[in-house]
Amino acid sequence: MIKAVMVMNTQGKPRLAKFYEYLPVEKQQELIRRVFAVLCGRAENVSNFIEAESIFGPDSRLVYKHFATLYFVFVFDSSENELAVLDLIQVFVETLDKCFKNVCELDIVFNYSKEMTLLENIFWIHTILDEIIFGGQVLETSSAEVMKAVEEISKLEAASNAITLIPKSASGWRSR
Amino acid sequence: MAMHGMRGLSVFISDIRNCQNKEQERLRVDKELGNVRTRFKNEKGLTPYEKKKYVWKMLYIYMLGYDVDFGHMEAVSLISAPKYPEKQVGYIVTSCLLNENHDFLRVAINSVRNDIIGRNETFQCLALTMVGNIGGREFAESLAPDVQKLLLSSSCRPLVRKKAALCLLRLFRKNPDVVNVDGWADRMAQLLDERDLGVLTSSMSLLVALVSNNHEAYWTCLPKCVKILERLARNQDVPQEYTYYGIPSPWLQVKTMRALQYFPSIEDPNTRRTLFEVLQRILMGTDVVKNVNKNNASHAVLFEALALVMHLDAEKEMMSQCVALLGKFVAVREPNIRYLGLENMTRMLMVTDVQEVIKRHQVQIIASLKDPDISIRRRALDLLYGMCDVTNAKDIVEELLQYLSSADFAMREELSLKAAILAEKFAPDLSWYVDVILQLIDKAGDFISDDIWFRVVQFVINNDDLQPYAAAKVKEYLHKPAVHETMVKVSAYILGEYSHLLARRPGCSPKEIFSILHEKLPTVSTTTIPILLSAYAKILMHTQPPDQELQNQIWAIFTKYESCIDAEIQQRAVEYFALSRKGAALMDILAEMPKFPERQSSLIKKAEDAEVDTAEQSAIKLRAQQQTSNALVVTDQRPANGAPPPVPVGQLSLVKVPSMITTEDNGTLSKVDPQPPSADLLGDLLGPLAIEGPPGATVPSEHNAVSGLEGAAEAVDGSAIVPVEVETNTVKPIGNIAERFHALCLKDSGVLYEDPYIQIGIKAEWRAHHGRLVLFLGNKNTAPLISVQALILPPGHLKMELSLVPETIPPRAQVQCPLEVVNLRPSRDVAVLDYSYKFGANMVNVKLRLPATLNKFLQPIPVSAEEFFPQWRSLSGPPLKLQEVVRGVRPMPLSEMANLLNSFRLMISPGLDPNPNNLVVCTTFYSENTHAILCLVRIETDPADRTQLRMTLASGDPTLTFELKEFIKEQLVSIPMVPRAPAAAPPAPPAAQLTPQIPANDPAALLAGLL
Repeated sequence: MIKAVMVMNTQGKPRLAKFYEYLPVEKQQELIRRVFAVLCGRAENVSNFIEAESIFGPDSRLVYKHFATLYFVFVFDSSENELAVLDLIQVFVETLDKCFKNVCELDIVFNYSKEMTLLENIFWIHTILDEIIFGGQVLETSSAEVMKAVEEISKLEAASNAITLIPKSASGWRSR
Repeated sequence: MAMHGMRGLSVFISDIRNCQNKEQERLRVDKELGNVRTRFKNEKGLTPYEKKKYVWKMLYIYMLGYDVDFGHMEAVSLISAPKYPEKQVGYIVTSCLLNENHDFLRVAINSVRNDIIGRNETFQCLALTMVGNIGGREFAESLAPDVQKLLLSSSCRPLVRKKAALCLLRLFRKNPDVVNVDGWADRMAQLLDERDLGVLTSSMSLLVALVSNNHEAYWTCLPKCVKILERLARNQDVPQEYTYYGIPSPWLQVKTMRALQYFPSIEDPNTRRTLFEVLQRILMGTDVVKNVNKNNASHAVLFEALALVMHLDAEKEMMSQCVALLGKFVAVREPNIRYLGLENMTRMLMVTDVQEVIKRHQVQIIASLKDPDISIRRRALDLLYGMCDVTNAKDIVEELLQYLSSADFAMREELSLKAAILAEKFAPDLSWYVDVILQLIDKAGDFISDDIWFRVVQFVINNDDLQPYAAAKVKEYLHKPAVHETMVKVSAYILGEYSHLLARRPGCSPKEIFSILHEKLPTVSTTTIPILLSAYAKILMHTQPPDQELQNQIWAIFTKYESCIDAEIQQRAVEYFALSRKGAALMDILAEMPKFPERQSSLIKKAEDAEVDTAEQSAIKLRAQQQTSNALVVTDQRPANGAPPPVPVGQLSLVKVPSMITTEDNGTLSKVDPQPPSADLLGDLLGPLAIEGPPGATVPSEHNAVSGLEGAAEAVDGSAIVPVEVETNTVKPIGNIAERFHALCLKDSGVLYEDPYIQIGIKAEWRAHHGRLVLFLGNKNTAPLISVQALILPPGHLKMELSLVPETIPPRAQVQCPLEVVNLRPSRDVAVLDYSYKFGANMVNVKLRLPATLNKFLQPIPVSAEEFFPQWRSLSGPPLKLQEVVRGVRPMPLSEMANLLNSFRLMISPGLDPNPNNLVVCTTFYSENTHAILCLVRIETDPADRTQLRMTLASGDPTLTFELKEFIKEQLVSIPMVPRAPAAAPPAPPAAQLTPQIPANDPAALLAGLL
């Protein structure tokens, strides 16, 4: 089971946190801080694994991927295959990349300057993640299938909006 | 996402972003929360739009990291809104803000159910997602049937069905009863016929959860899993979108192989063959390429395949292929693969004895200890720890010592503990062990727990030869300019006891020893001073003839500490001073420390405890746990929890011998925990320092107070330091001897016997009527076992030849004694090993049954219907064919009985008997007189009464038919040990019980008649 998904930037600012086992908010934030403390000390070209049991308790594993200014971190237990989870990060990032044009600007996506777009982005990122991981289990591994599902939701959004203001980013990929 | 036009929300977010600091932000958030709260409270008739607006604000505040503890009702109520936008917000916010324990969630169950059974797919998805993320027990009970319907519905789109599969998995986790095993097993198998890979992946996750709980119910899924794997491996019918970097859905491949690891074995030869072909393909066809993502994906599959091969106990050839692959990985540049290569090698060590092959990569593994990545260094350390044995201990431990000085602080404690344990377990000689521990203390004193130095002191005390060496060694360390306090403690203790043994050496006069020790006193803390004072007292006592000057010096120190604020120091000072004036009495009181009773190293115990991983359920891990690596044994099967009842073993039970040495009251037959009670080590070590007179000696009463210096220790250790008294304790075996024997009847390696001094392991290979057993005799102690004798008492039908057993087993060593067996004719009699040894004054004599039982000379053979029936008919009637109704059979499901027979090498041939309640068994028996004889067995069970069955046996040899019949009967009537934990075994599948009695005109019954 996947226990948590976190995205944080290289300054340690959390950009996304989803815990599949209930944890109070303060505890979540503490865990993110501790993960960042380990990640920021790691060199390039090392493995994608770090020791997780001291942070998340027994039977925890952690893989992460570093993209531009962001760390993508997945925490899971021994029922999952480490490299398969690493692949899943890649699927998540590739899907985000397709939706938001450029993975290198993801940090901006997570911190958009326009207030509304920020919330919208967060909404879409959560929607995408929900189509990939469901209750801590891998739901879909095909980026194309995830896109299809997200597209359907975006159509519904458009239809339900009187003032049809689809997020630019979203409308951008919708026409692809 | 319909948030446009929510100006208030936009303003709020903008305000938050303009806050200069956290404090301002908090104030703004509090203000907004107050605002929302009033709105919710006062305005009863909020429109859905308004509700939605406030709920979004709450969510935003929550995302900023603030607790939102109200408005939950409003969020939940949005779920029942009829329109998509409100409903969607309701589901999203509920999933975020609430967890399964919230009461409000209960309110939503009905609305959620309506969405699930409704026709709107979007609503179905929203509802399933929320339940899948936060659904609890109540959801499980009310929604499971509906979710199951969705999953099975052919009219539903894959998008909905895959969510339903994972939603059901969540509900199953919350309440396993919601999935009815009998009804669901067939449906689960049907689900695996799914073509859509998305649905199939989710279904496979569901299957993994179900089989991890109860694999027997789902065995029909096993061949389907193999089929799926075959389809993917051959890349048949895999759509482009599920091909990831050229690899057909690596996730589904991995999940499928994971599911297969929960089945204990694969019986069907065809399925097994297909699977091994696929695995072989994966093992051979995976290369390290340039593209990192492709590498990760292909190796995800490869590592899972390795795990599955290990689980299936593949043929030796395939195993060594795996080790070769892993050897390649530990040398590749790609860090992830190197990491997993090391990790899997460690895992492999635990499941099979491939240690020799792994040792070839030792240089490479040691190099990984210097990898720039700490994650890899940790794995390398784990592997080195696991692969260490007597042959390479010196190299590995010295490597670890060297690495210690440059190791990360985060790893030093673990590193030094592991080095200490390895040194203790595998020391080629004890002086080396002392060297290692002293080096550890010297290099990483801060990371050396007390256990480590206590242990080295115990060893020194228990081994006379070691004492002068250790004393000389610690003295050398004291000459170093900076000495760690732990080193001062060890040195003071050892020099106090044994420095007089060095007295003739230059620089080792009592005065000189005293002055090097005393130099350290100003640098140490109050916990060390008492040890120094004891050492002074002992040095003074050993100074013969008395040295006035030294005495004055030491007395001055005692006098100085008489007024010390630390009670411990003060008491020692006062008492040592008083005692040392008594002259001769001092000799008795400060006599040399008696030997410690032997016990399991607390270090090793600590390490073992830490390694037990309860959360892990995977099959590999379970097996690994059963086989903790131990210097002394091949495998170490600890009894499962639950006290094994004392099984009477007749004349074969232990011959109890009074013991001279006090042993703890450990491992009686009925005791659950085979470990000796964990003793207070500190008490052990320091307790005897406290002054306790020998029996009969007149000791002033105040000395009892002194002995209390380590709390309650004195009561326990009082006896330990009085070796004069003869104790009548007996050496008791650890674990249940009968149970160990029965376990070994089913498998070929394990522990035959264990007591506090010795462990006897066994490893056997059987070929036709020949057997080759190796007995592993391991001395668990730091003193030798002497007068070792082993005699084999073979029954008439076995020719047995035991190679020479050495008369002495050195401390902590293991000797191997091969034993050749030839089976002359069929018989159920067993051979007995008559074994005796002496430890100290204990003479121990044990008689043990050897697992060279009838079933070991059986070879399973698959027989087709065309071969079976003519044979069966030709062997007609007694004495070649015997039939018996057996009563009092231990009730068990048919599948369990089949497993049991299979493990006795009585191979079940499915499909020969049309009645599902019957089992047909084919096997070949080998003996020198009879050569190979085919044996056929048919067991008819009565589903209405599982305690009785009818058994028919046929073979070409009357003795064999009779003996085999009796043998099987013994196994079924009173199963001495269930191969798996009985708690895990499901009750008999009611499906079988429902099978109606077969009427006389039934074709199956007719065939049965023919049989």
